[in-house]
Amino acid sequence: MKAVMPWLGLLSRLVLGGVLLAAGLLKYQHLDKSQMAVRAYEMLPIAVANFIGIVLPFAEIGLGILIILGAGTRISAALGSLLMLVFVIGISQAWARGLSIDCGCFGGGGQVEPGTANYLPELLRDAGLAALGIYLFRFPQSKFALDKSPQSPNLEKGI
Amino acid sequence: MSAKPQPGKDNFTRNLVIGVVLGVVLIMLVPTVISKQTKSSAKIPASVSAERGYGIVFNGDLKSVPVIDLYEDFQCPVCAQFEGAQGQYIESLIAEKKATVVFHTLSFIGTESIIAANAAACSADEDKFLALHKMLYQTQPKENSGAWTNEALVAAGGSVGIKSKSYKECVTNGTYADWVSNVQASAAKANVNSTPTVFINGKEADRNDYYDPARFAAAVERG
Repeated sequence: MKAVMPWLGLLSRLVLGGVLLAAGLLKYQHLDKSQMAVRAYEMLPIAVANFIGIVLPFAEIGLGILIILGAGTRISAALGSLLMLVFVIGISQAWARGLSIDCGCFGGGGQVEPGTANYLPELLRDAGLAALGIYLFRFPQSKFALDKSPQSPNLEKGI
Repeated sequence: MSAKPQPGKDNFTRNLVIGVVLGVVLIMLVPTVISKQTKSSAKIPASVSAERGYGIVFNGDLKSVPVIDLYEDFQCPVCAQFEGAQGQYIESLIAEKKATVVFHTLSFIGTESIIAANAAACSADEDKFLALHKMLYQTQPKENSGAWTNEALVAAGGSVGIKSKSYKECVTNGTYADWVSNVQASAAKANVNSTPTVFINGKEADRNDYYDPARFAAAVERG
């Protein structure tokens, strides 16, 4: 198991980082739409939602790159997980309140025709990605990472 | 574990990478945030009012008639459906002075939305907004297909009788590009999350009424 875990770490990094980077780049191309997507969750005051709509793609791109490279793995994976948990909360509340929105996860977003929203797969995906981030936070050592020294000193013994 | 951690070795490369990534993200973020603010210096077309969300206003001076705010994107296929269902009715309201109509030409679908909205603003200066508006929806290409270029929009203007040199220059130079961005920013403030969106007297109309002429007319008359 010990020999496999750095490879699992690499896989987690590529999946979580890759998804964040792709999501960020797709949103970055249509920032107006991204703002629209955040507003459609009806969770935040409009001015705040508009600001988040611009900042979020940049945050996703930055985190995605750092996680893929394995630079500051623990912190960036923790932030990535946190982001996914925020998405899970956002989508859950939209579902619970009966809003009809596109999650806007990979660009797009905004209101959709009632009945066409499909929240469950989105929730499962984001929860799975959050789990990858939590795994990386707990076991940050992985293959081909820029991080050189273990950030958790007792990790070697701990596993 | 093969790659033993080397406590003596510093993390110079890693720290450099983190610094560069965060730096570049911030350097790109700040101008983007600023560019989304309303530009008070934007050149605005005739019949536009900043108080009305930078929309193109018809019958703005009428009192005690319903005010209809239309948020649409020239590239949005559902907006073309809406135009097909209600375009004539809305034009008749304008012609018969039965309503104030404000067109908010949004641009979130892509760059072709931006140049189309710019061309629409240019046509407003020539008093041909409604004609070009209709023509663009009737000939709407697939989203972001590259069919709408400045040349194509000049030609579209020509097909509805706008032959002037000033229109051509206005389209080609993107004279109202900043205004287009202001329209979008103001729709963001108005919490418009899809197109088409219709407000009647400041209240969002029921989406189920959009494509049914009788119900839409009733909603307008109720005010």
